Amino acid sequence: MSPGLLFLAAISLYPTLYSLVVSFMRWNLSSGEAARFAGLDNFVGLLTDGLFWNSVRVTLVFVFFSVLIELVLTFGLALLFFRGFPGDKLLRALIMMPMLCAPVVVGLLARFSLEPTYGIVNQLMRSIGLPTTEFLGNVDLALPTLIAIDVWQWSPFLFLILLAAMQGLPEEVIEASKIDGASWPRIIWHQFLPLLRYPILVGVLLRLIDSFRVYDIVYMTTRGGPVDATSTMSWQIYDVGFRAFNISYAAAFSWLLLLLVLLAVNSLIRRMVARS
Amino acid sequence: MSVAKRRNINWNVGVRASVAVISTFLFIAPVLWMVTTAFKTGNQAFSGEIQWFFTPTLENFAEVLGGTRLTYALINSLQVSVISSIVAILLASGIAYPLARYEFRGRDQIAGTILSLRIVPPIVTIIPLFLVMRTIGLNGSLLSIIILHVFMNLPLAVWLLRGFYEDVPKEIEEAGAIDGLGNIGIFFRMVLPLAMPGVASTALLCFVFSWNEFLFASVLSNAGSQTVTVALTQYVTPVGTEWTLIMAAGTVVAVPVWLAALAAQKYLVRGLSLGAVK
Repeated sequence: MSPGLLFLAAISLYPTLYSLVVSFMRWNLSSGEAARFAGLDNFVGLLTDGLFWNSVRVTLVFVFFSVLIELVLTFGLALLFFRGFPGDKLLRALIMMPMLCAPVVVGLLARFSLEPTYGIVNQLMRSIGLPTTEFLGNVDLALPTLIAIDVWQWSPFLFLILLAAMQGLPEEVIEASKIDGASWPRIIWHQFLPLLRYPILVGVLLRLIDSFRVYDIVYMTTRGGPVDATSTMSWQIYDVGFRAFNISYAAAFSWLLLLLVLLAVNSLIRRMVARS
Repeated sequence: MSVAKRRNINWNVGVRASVAVISTFLFIAPVLWMVTTAFKTGNQAFSGEIQWFFTPTLENFAEVLGGTRLTYALINSLQVSVISSIVAILLASGIAYPLARYEFRGRDQIAGTILSLRIVPPIVTIIPLFLVMRTIGLNGSLLSIIILHVFMNLPLAVWLLRGFYEDVPKEIEEAGAIDGLGNIGIFFRMVLPLAMPGVASTALLCFVFSWNEFLFASVLSNAGSQTVTVALTQYVTPVGTEWTLIMAAGTVVAVPVWLAALAAQKYLVRGLSLGAVK
């Protein structure tokens, strides 16, 4: 048993069990009352809590659209790059810049860019005659705006994975289909997609895992608002646990989040582990 | 190849290159705007019109780095990221090397379980860990943040290092064994030097993730142990926001990561995809 395994076991097993225990208690750090056993109260409470279901909906919408848009966008972008052209390496290095920024920095940058009076987005929109828009303060626009920010920051990540995978494809495959007179859409559909299934799977899996935890950007831009329009599960749990200090409710909440993530990625991760 | 066909290919490359340049610009434009704003005075930034050409000023950087808050946080972040990366690499090597080298029962289960730790959203682990840190009195200390960053980076490091250690040819180790080296000697004197580029870039990736991390650091830090990402949140105040200063601070936080990524570029894709795409 190596020290690393001991450390991992200690820091993952114990808190996991601890949080399970806490989720069955009634425990609010701000009330000063001692924690006591509450059975299934927290879970029953959550399932009848409108804020909980709102956060589930917000999270699923956010995850689904951001990952879908990123996948389609970056597949096209990778196709553009994979045969190479002068200067492609430089562009590839530049494209990485957004994903290397801390999400907190991206959140600040988004606030500044979307600012109504001197933010660059609104300045550009005005210059082509569009009205000034409060992207982050509008109930209908806030979530799509967060999705756009995520797409901007994390598309480079999927792009790099897909590009590396495409460049690893055997040249014969492409040559052979060309000689057969296949058109590009056919080659992409019948040759590329099947051969790239595994890298796409890994890329999508990693993006899914990461987008379920979206928190930093919400913290820096909308703080869950306006009117809970961007209150993702991670944000809502933080709000319950560290602002209302309802620790046990937040623990139960986080178990339901974990369950949702596992449901979403379980089949993908099993396939990935089987391949490695 | 006929002239017509060649011209067709050139045209093709030209179109692809142009679309690629435009796409790249869309990705870096906000970053460029952040960096240029950092070099502007307030009047230049808030004139209401986009100023493409201006005389750059270093005032914002001087103010951001001259004040104690961000400088202090930078030192904290440097400590947290460097120490947690080194510890993560050491602990992960102890797991990854046996996983790469020896056949034993349950090997794949261990690897799978370690990977699955990466699935758990941090908000799920932070509640119990916050309570534990409070109980043992580590709350608000740099040590508590370091411990959590080691925890955060271990699965990634194990998964990557395993790949890099597997790439070291077995024959070299057998030669070492014949020369009378023990397992530990073989690892430190033969495997580690050969796997060094991979190990170093794994360390750089751990550094990047730790440097950029926010949730653990914000929940566990206090005024004295703020990391840079936490310190940045304090720049946005309800009373007027000094965007030129904030953009300078954002740039200062982003630059070390850009440098680290540049150094690890060759292994970046492999690292980010957990070695799945080599």
